Amino acid sequence: MKTMLISLAWKNIWRNKLRSGMILGAIAIGLFAGTFMTAFLSGWIEHSVISDIQNQLAYIQVHDPGFAANNDIKACFLQDEAMVAKIASAGEVAAVSYRLRLNAMLASAAAAVGVSVKGVDVAAEKAVFTLHETIPDSCGAFLPDEGRMQIVISRKTAEKLKVRLRSKLVLTFQDTGGEMQSLAFRVGGIFKTANAAFDEGTVFVRKSDIFAYTGLPEGAVHEAALMTGGFETCRTASERLQSLLPGLDVQTWDQVQPELGLMLSWIGLMNGFILAIFLLALSFGIVNTMLMAVLERTHELGMLACIGMSKRRIFRMIMLETVFLTGVGSLLGIAAGLSVVGLTARSGIDLTFLIEDQFEDYGFASVVYPVMRAGTFMQIVALVALAGLLSAIYPARKALKLEPLEAIRN
Amino acid sequence: MSTIIETSGLYKIYKDQASEIHAVDGVNLRISQGEFTAIVGPSGSGKTTLLNLIGGLDSPTSGSIHIDGSDISRLSPKELVDFRLHHIGFIFQSYNLIPVLTAKENVSFVMDLQGRRSREAGQRSLELLEAVGLGDRADSRPAKLSGGQQQRVAVARALASKPRFILADEPTANLDSKSAANLLDMMEKLNEQEQITFLFSTHDPRIMAKARRIITLEDGRIVGDILK
Ligand SMILES: Nc1ncnc2c1ncn2[C@@H]1O[C@H](COP(=O)(O)OP(=O)(O)OP(=O)(O)O)[C@@H](O)[C@H]1O
Ligand SMILES: [Mg+2]
Repeated sequence: MKTMLISLAWKNIWRNKLRSGMILGAIAIGLFAGTFMTAFLSGWIEHSVISDIQNQLAYIQVHDPGFAANNDIKACFLQDEAMVAKIASAGEVAAVSYRLRLNAMLASAAAAVGVSVKGVDVAAEKAVFTLHETIPDSCGAFLPDEGRMQIVISRKTAEKLKVRLRSKLVLTFQDTGGEMQSLAFRVGGIFKTANAAFDEGTVFVRKSDIFAYTGLPEGAVHEAALMTGGFETCRTASERLQSLLPGLDVQTWDQVQPELGLMLSWIGLMNGFILAIFLLALSFGIVNTMLMAVLERTHELGMLACIGMSKRRIFRMIMLETVFLTGVGSLLGIAAGLSVVGLTARSGIDLTFLIEDQFEDYGFASVVYPVMRAGTFMQIVALVALAGLLSAIYPARKALKLEPLEAIRN
Repeated sequence: MSTIIETSGLYKIYKDQASEIHAVDGVNLRISQGEFTAIVGPSGSGKTTLLNLIGGLDSPTSGSIHIDGSDISRLSPKELVDFRLHHIGFIFQSYNLIPVLTAKENVSFVMDLQGRRSREAGQRSLELLEAVGLGDRADSRPAKLSGGQQQRVAVARALASKPRFILADEPTANLDSKSAANLLDMMEKLNEQEQITFLFSTHDPRIMAKARRIITLEDGRIVGDILK
């Protein structure tokens, strides 16, 4: 009986090929768009978040508790053997960069800007971050030479200060004793990330070039930036590290910049929301199609009830028809969406032809790499199943309400 | 011959705001195994209503309908569906068949509903189509069959569930007179050879003439009962 009902329901869908084809097409197009859009947006946001992590945030940051509050130059900790050993013992930490962090004024002959200075050890910094890769060959390099007082600034900052490679700049900051220190640097490299806000506010110098002027005790740093395996491993590593370093603040990337973490969860929510609206609209179409299919078959459904087909079976048959219609359309749409995601996931979709790099001002890359995570996929499938079932119920109930005798009367 | 259908004091009364229509007005009727009986009467005399009551498609205002001794007017709607499926074969005026299924599938559909094995059902469907003279059209869909052929498939379908009797409300109403006569001849043959009990209604005097018992209704009452 089951197979009979299934085959009958399947055949019934194709009674009106045009009508079924149209709703099938609508579902397929809707889900293609939904799937692709979800992957596109997640890819866009995730990629931006990951490049922020790789360029500047790292997965975990360690600070003195006073640092987060007011960027106090005195809020430092010691990069001693005990510290290094503790961080290593947290596991999952691939690389560490110990940095100085100073607020400073950077002045050229033309202008001056406030910047956040990161004083780094070049080898360690390169092991943790990929920022050095954003410096084009024509724009210098990431602090290649020791003792030469070089500074790496962003293209934005260079434009603001009207300076070029090898131009002279003066960096002014307060040391731990409250004295103003002014140091002359030459532009050694000009970088550009997709995050304009970061670019504008950040410069890099060698830790060894400025340390003597800070007044900090030997071995002091403001920040340890840790690279771990990824989104998942950084949480466990962070918790372990926090218990090893009770006097310090250990934060994951999304604790350092909550807006980034929020953005990731928001995009998930948004995707679900948009998809739900898509499906709601499609459901109206599905319900309408199936209602027509039921109403034009009144006579036949009445006849089936008369000869002994139970209401439950009639209900099931109509449900199956709706589910098939929705299922086939969704399958086609999702498959098409996934193939396009698969085709573009590696090469990315370059949006510069459309929007140039306008979005980079807000921290979004111009090249989008769509991603479809298993969780997101399950979410789509679940929403589709829900929509299919919900839109199946009303037409099937309509069929139930038919009075067999009324239905067969001419 | 044993009694299959027995109605006693059967009433079906439709109430309007003002008037009451006694569609079936105190019918006492007994149909035995192997009968080939026509119910006739003018339009509005209650033929359809009576057949619907006997077929368990409608419930009486009062009175009882016994089929093989059990009172079907006491069955719940759910039980009635099951009862119809297993004990009664139906042939309607039209729209008997499922358009997306072939003749053979239409016949085996009832057996599927009954939960019979599909191989057995397929075999029996072919035999029944043979019996109604459509062995060669087993794989045709209804749209490819003439009205008369469709009604033959309907007869085969009605027989498929091995019912106690077959109810047919004006089975020839939509057929030309030749197809109508053919259908009746075929039903008659099944009646004679297989002792299938038929109870059908008709307007057509030529169809009436083929019946062996003619029950005449007028205003819901039996006014004539002739056994030939
Ligand atoms: N659902 C209903 N509601 C009200 N009155 C009805 C209903 N069904 C039938 N009737 C009335 O009951 C009477 C008997 O109708 P019925 O259909 O049984 O007659 P019939 O002999 O089959 O007529 P016909 O030869 O035209 O098919 C008619 O007066 C009809 O108007
Ligand atoms: Mg009638």
